[in-house]
Amino acid sequence: MPVRMAHAGAAAGDAIRSATLDRRRMLSRLIRPVRISPDERTGRVTGVGDETDTLDALLVRVASADATAFAEFYDLTRSRTYGMILRVLRDPGYSEETLQEVYLQVWRPGTAFDPAQGSALSWLMTLAHRRAVDRVRAERSGADREARYGAQSVEAVFDTVTDEALRRDDARQVLDCLDTLTDLHRRSVELAYYGGLTYREVAEQLSTALPTVKSRIRDGLRRLKNCLGVDSDDE
Amino acid sequence: MTNSTRPGFGDDGLELIDLAAVYALDAVTDAERHEIDARVTAADADVAEAFARETRDVRATMAQVSHTTAVEPPAAVRGRLLALIAADTDTPDAPVDLAARRARWRNFLLAAAAAVVIAVGGIGIATQMRQDTQPTSAQILAADDVRTVSGAIEGGGTATVVYSKEVDAGVLVMNNVAPPTEGTVYQMWLLGPSGAIAAGTMTPDDVAPSTTAVLEDISDATALGFSVEPTGGSTQPTAIFAQLPLT
Repeated sequence: MPVRMAHAGAAAGDAIRSATLDRRRMLSRLIRPVRISPDERTGRVTGVGDETDTLDALLVRVASADATAFAEFYDLTRSRTYGMILRVLRDPGYSEETLQEVYLQVWRPGTAFDPAQGSALSWLMTLAHRRAVDRVRAERSGADREARYGAQSVEAVFDTVTDEALRRDDARQVLDCLDTLTDLHRRSVELAYYGGLTYREVAEQLSTALPTVKSRIRDGLRRLKNCLGVDSDDE
Repeated sequence: MTNSTRPGFGDDGLELIDLAAVYALDAVTDAERHEIDARVTAADADVAEAFARETRDVRATMAQVSHTTAVEPPAAVRGRLLALIAADTDTPDAPVDLAARRARWRNFLLAAAAAVVIAVGGIGIATQMRQDTQPTSAQILAADDVRTVSGAIEGGGTATVVYSKEVDAGVLVMNNVAPPTEGTVYQMWLLGPSGAIAAGTMTPDDVAPSTTAVLEDISDATALGFSVEPTGGSTQPTAIFAQLPLT
């Protein structure tokens, strides 16, 4: 696990490594990989309801280096951002790092949020998804990590609802809409969005012609959008 | 999304708009994304508008779908982020513990300065505050290649490095880490092809609930190592007991 603290990584050299192994037993403070225990996941439910204006206003304050607004923005959006990243990366350690990088990007001066291009949440999820996909592709291209991401197929994400989602009214509405999609539509959108795959790779994985996959993704999203009543021009 | 069947865009335009959905889902390669961006820039205004509309719609739709996958992140992330942000801000209405944070910074600065003197041949930790004209932390946060790496420390707490190879520096944040025992210090090392380079020490007094330090000259380092050393530090690590990779 390259992103976690290694007790004796290749970088340290053999001398250090052997010394480390001896010393490890003597030290009380060893570093272990990041683990998320179930009870850490059960915080209060964040970010429900009509919050578009709130999030937009908070982002304006964040742009002027307002740390309080940043904390509030984080609290209102963190579970959705982290949950999506976790679906893409599947590894809690990678996901935690990516989550941090996303919010540092939110904080950094010059990260442009343009309300004309959509809601603050949409902007945030776009930013987070891009970063998660970049990371999963980078990990996948690492030769020694093929076992981790290579052969594994993407779980049926839409069928795996998180505990937190079940407590949200917004989630239930989305789930109802997802139920209206055909399996082919769902699977195509899932692989493209959560699999970190390109649409060519989705076509390969589903053994389906490229144009068919493209139109399935597009039709699936269109049905979903219409069911949800999403109109980004109204936001 | 309903414009693909509308006449008037031309074959090229229709084909481009057809890619908007997979583009918005990030289901394209980097090369394809650049190519699509270039084509949209060069496209007729109505084609570009239809492409932008579909992209917005898809992103808004997936933002709604994110309700179904919500998971609380580990609580420690919040503290780390706020510590990093605090290192990058100095506003009058900042959190109330700012004075305490500044005092900790000063203590750490003194300790780091001492470490520079002691660590012969090593590049010491340079700590900086917002008041400096060009805070390294701000440069790191603003870098295109900013990365973070974290590890939990057994016995409590986490260590995180936010770093940029372009800026050639990183910010180390230690949260709720137990201080070293009296008579010893934690010493940080930049590990790389040329061995271990001393990067500063932390005494028991330095290790506050949230300790932040800037690491410089990291570009050759492949990892940040931690060791326990006698007070004053060592010129070479006795034993690296933990590492954060800086790849």
